[in-house]
Amino acid sequence: MDDIKNTETAKAAARAKAEAEFKSYGDIIWNQFQKYPLSYYSMYGVLWLFVIAVLAPVLALNVPFYASVPEGVGAANLAGVHFPWFSALFDRNFFESGLDIFFNMLIFTMPINFVIWIGLKKSKGDIKRRDFVRLRTRFVSWSALAQILVFTVIYFWEFREPYVDWITMAGNSSVSTVFPLLQFSFRDVDLTSVILDPDWKHFLGTDREGRDVFTRILYGTRISLTIGVVAVAIYTTIGVILGGLAGYFGKWVDMVVLRLVEVMICFPTFFLILTLRGFIDDPSIFHIMLIIGLTGWTGIARLVRSEFLLLKRQDFVQAAIALGLTERRIIFRHVMPNALGPVFVSATFGVAGAILIEASLSFLGLGPATAPSWGQILTAGRETGKDVLILAPGLAIFVTVILLNLVGEGARDALDPKLRK
Amino acid sequence: MATYIIKRIMLMFPTLFLISVIIFLVLNLAPGKPTSSSVTAEGTQDSKSSEARESYRIFKEQFNFDKPVMFNTRFLLTRADVFEELRVLGDFARPTCTAANTPVNCLNADQKPKSGRVIEAQDVIEDWGTYVVPQLVEIAQTDTRVDIRKLAINRLSVNAKRRLLNEYGKSQTPEQRVFNREVAAENELISAWTASDQVTMPEIETLMAEKWTPWFASHGDRWNWDMGDKASMMFFDTRFSKYWGNLARFDFGVSHIDKRPVLDKIMERLPYTLTLNFLAIFFAYLFSIPIGVWSAYKQNSPADRVVTAVLLAFYSLPSFFVGLLLLNWFADGDPYGLFPTGGFAGQLPAWYGESPASTADMTTMDYLVSASYHLLLPVFCMTYGGIASLSRYARTGLLDTIRADFIRTARAKGLSETMVIVKHAVRNGMIPVLTLLGTMLPALIGGSVVIEYVFNIPGMGLFMFESIFARDYNAIMGVLLISTVLTLFGLLASDISYAIVDPRISFD
Repeated sequence: MDDIKNTETAKAAARAKAEAEFKSYGDIIWNQFQKYPLSYYSMYGVLWLFVIAVLAPVLALNVPFYASVPEGVGAANLAGVHFPWFSALFDRNFFESGLDIFFNMLIFTMPINFVIWIGLKKSKGDIKRRDFVRLRTRFVSWSALAQILVFTVIYFWEFREPYVDWITMAGNSSVSTVFPLLQFSFRDVDLTSVILDPDWKHFLGTDREGRDVFTRILYGTRISLTIGVVAVAIYTTIGVILGGLAGYFGKWVDMVVLRLVEVMICFPTFFLILTLRGFIDDPSIFHIMLIIGLTGWTGIARLVRSEFLLLKRQDFVQAAIALGLTERRIIFRHVMPNALGPVFVSATFGVAGAILIEASLSFLGLGPATAPSWGQILTAGRETGKDVLILAPGLAIFVTVILLNLVGEGARDALDPKLRK
Repeated sequence: MATYIIKRIMLMFPTLFLISVIIFLVLNLAPGKPTSSSVTAEGTQDSKSSEARESYRIFKEQFNFDKPVMFNTRFLLTRADVFEELRVLGDFARPTCTAANTPVNCLNADQKPKSGRVIEAQDVIEDWGTYVVPQLVEIAQTDTRVDIRKLAINRLSVNAKRRLLNEYGKSQTPEQRVFNREVAAENELISAWTASDQVTMPEIETLMAEKWTPWFASHGDRWNWDMGDKASMMFFDTRFSKYWGNLARFDFGVSHIDKRPVLDKIMERLPYTLTLNFLAIFFAYLFSIPIGVWSAYKQNSPADRVVTAVLLAFYSLPSFFVGLLLLNWFADGDPYGLFPTGGFAGQLPAWYGESPASTADMTTMDYLVSASYHLLLPVFCMTYGGIASLSRYARTGLLDTIRADFIRTARAKGLSETMVIVKHAVRNGMIPVLTLLGTMLPALIGGSVVIEYVFNIPGMGLFMFESIFARDYNAIMGVLLISTVLTLFGLLASDISYAIVDPRISFD
C-alpha cells in the first residue's frame, strides 16, 4: 500500500515540479528579450511615451482642475466650486478628435487596468499556471471590450458645454484656481505671442500661430503613436491574411497573391501614398492611417507566406493533418502561432516606419490640417528658420523611432535560436 | 541568360498594364473633381454663368473627363433617364411658392431639388453629350411642360455638336481638315437654334418644326447603332481606352496647368532625380560595404558595438529633419553660409570663382563643380540612411560566410588574411546586399520627394508633389508610370547582377 502511495505522491511532486519549471514559447522569448538590456529598457521607454501621450492633459491644458468662483464674477451661473478639467476632457470645445477623446478616457481606465494587472502578476505564484493564463486572457479581452464600449458611448454622446475662458477668469484675483503644469491648449491661436523664444513660460517657445510648442509636441505623441500602431495593425492584418492564404493553400491563391505583391512593390510606396492622399479633400489622421495601412502590407504578406510554406512541411503540421483536425484548427492553432514571431518583429519596425511616413506627410503639408503632428511643427521650423522649432519635433521623432527600432532589434535577436544567450 | 532577360522584359508588360489599370482606377474613382487653372471651382458650381460653364465643358472634353471611366453604357439611356435630369434643372429654375404670393408655376421650397443635385444633373447631362440627342429631340417635340422643352432645346444646341477630329493634336491631315470644316459649320448652325427664357409653347413648336425636326430627320441615322457599334462604344469610348490609345503612342497627355505635354515635363525633371538617386545609391554602397565588412570582422569588439549603435541612430534619423537642420546651420548664413540653400546648380563655391548669371554660361567643369556644390547636402541626406541599413546587411552577410568551411580551407592553405577576407568571404557575403539594389530604387525615388522639397531641387518628386496639389491627373499618371518602369528595370538589373555574381544561380 505504502509503495503505491509513495509513487503517487512522487508523481504528484514531479508534476508540480514540471509545472513550476514549464516554460511556454512566450516565456522563453521573454527571458531572451530581457537579456538585451538596451532593447529591454527601450521597451519601457516606449511605454513611457505612451503614458506621456495619455497624461498630456494632466500636464498641459488651459482648464483648471479646480476653480472656486465667488458671486458676481463672470456669468451668474458660474458662481461656486467647479472641477472643469474633468468635463473638459470629453468636451468637444476642447477636444474634437476621437483620438484625443480615446486617450482622455485612458487617463481614467489605464490606472484601473494597471492595478488589476499588478494584482494578476502577484497571484501568479499562488494559482495554477493554466488558471493564470486563462485569467490573463480573460482580463485582456474583457478590459479591451469594456474600454471600446465606453469610448463608443462617449464619442457618440458629443458632449459640449458652454465655453468658459478659464485663463481670463483666473486673472481675476478673487478666483482661486489650480491649473495643470502648463496652461496652454495645443490648438488655441494666440496672435499676441507669435514665434517666441524658449523661456520659463514656453519651454520650447511658440509657433507662428502663438501656440506653445511644448504642448503641441506632448499632444503630438498621441498622433504619432496611434498612427504607427493603427496603420501597422491594418497592414499586418491584411498581410497575415493574404500571406497565410497564399502560403497554406498554394496553387492559384498563391499565384494571385504573389502577382498582387509584385505589382504593389513596383510602386514607389511614398508616391502611391501621396497620390491617395491627394484625392482626399480634408484628411483626418484616420485617413492617413488607412492610406499607410493599405499600401504597406506587401512585406508582411511575403514574410507570412514563406513562414507558412516552411511550417506546412514540418512534422507537427503533418501530424495535425493526419489526426484529421479541421483546417481552421490547423491554421489558427498550429501554424499561425509559430509564424507570428517574425511578424511581430517586422511590425515593431513597421510602427517606426509608419511614424516616419506620417511625419513626412505632415511635413509636406499633406497631413491633417489642425492636428498637432510633429511633422507639422517641423514645417513651421522650416518656414521660420528657428532652430528650436526644427530640433524639438525632429528629436521627438528620432527618439520615438530609435526606441521602437531598438525594441525591434531585441525582439529579432530574442526570436533567433542561433543567438540564444 | 539572354532568354531569361527577354522573358523578364516580356513579363514586364502585363505587370505594367496591371499597374496602369490600378493607378488609373485609383485616380479616376477617387473623390474630387479635376480643375484647370483657367476653370476654377466656380465654373463647376455656378450653373448660371454660361461662359464659365462652356469653358469647363470644353476642358472636360479635352481631357476626356466627360467619358465614363471603364465601360460606356450610354447607348442604353432612355427618355425617362434624360427627362429626370431635365426635370431637376427645370424645377430648380421654377419660382418658389411663399405664403404671401404664389407665382405662376411655383414649387414649394421643400420640393425644390438641392443645389448639389442640380450641379450633378448639369454635369451628367453635359457628359452624356451626343448620346442623348434622340431622347432630347423626343422630349423637345412631345413633352407637356414648356420649361422642360425649352431646356431640352437649349441642351440640344450644345449636345448635338459633333467633336472635331484631332482637335487638340499637333497637326491635322488634309482629310481631317475638310471634315472638321464641315462639322464646325454644322456646329455653328446648331448653336444658334436655342429658345429664349420667355419662350411660349407655339414658339417652341415653330422652332422644332423649322429647325430641329428636319435636322434630326436628315441626320437621325447617326444614332441607329447596330451591335458592333454598341460594343465598340462600350469598350472604346471610355476614358480608359482613350488614355491607353494615347499611351500606346507614348503620349501621356498634356498637363492641365500649362497645357504642355506631360512626357516633356517629366523628361526635363528626370535627370535631376536620377542623378540624385544614383549618387545616393553609389555612395551608400561605397561606404556601407567596407563598414559592414570591418564591423563583422571585428565582431563583438567595442568598436563593432559603437559602429552598430551609431548606424542604428543614423537609421532612425528622419532625412528631412537632418536636411532642414543642415540647411539651417550650414546654408542660411546663420551661423555658417557654406552651401547654397537649394536648387540643382547655379552657384559656385566662393573659393572656386565668381558664379555666372545662369547655368547656360558655365563650362562643363564649372557646371560639375556647381552641381556637386549644390548636391553635397541633399546626397548626404539621402545616403546616410542607406549606409545604415546596407552596412547591417553587409555585416550579417559576411558573418554568414566567415564561418564557412571554404574560408577555413583558404586560411589552412596559407593565404594571406586580406586575400581570405576580400577574395573569399566578401565576394560571397555581399550577394544578399546586391539584391537590395532593386528594392532600394523605389524607396529612394519615393524618399526623394521630401529631399527635393527641402532642397528645392526641380526633380520628379517635387513635380509629383506639385501635380498632386494641382490635381493634374495626366502628370500624376505619367510620373507614377515612369517611376514604375524605372523600378521594374531596377528589379531586373538586380536579378541579373545576382546571376553574374553568384555562379550557383543560372537562369538557363
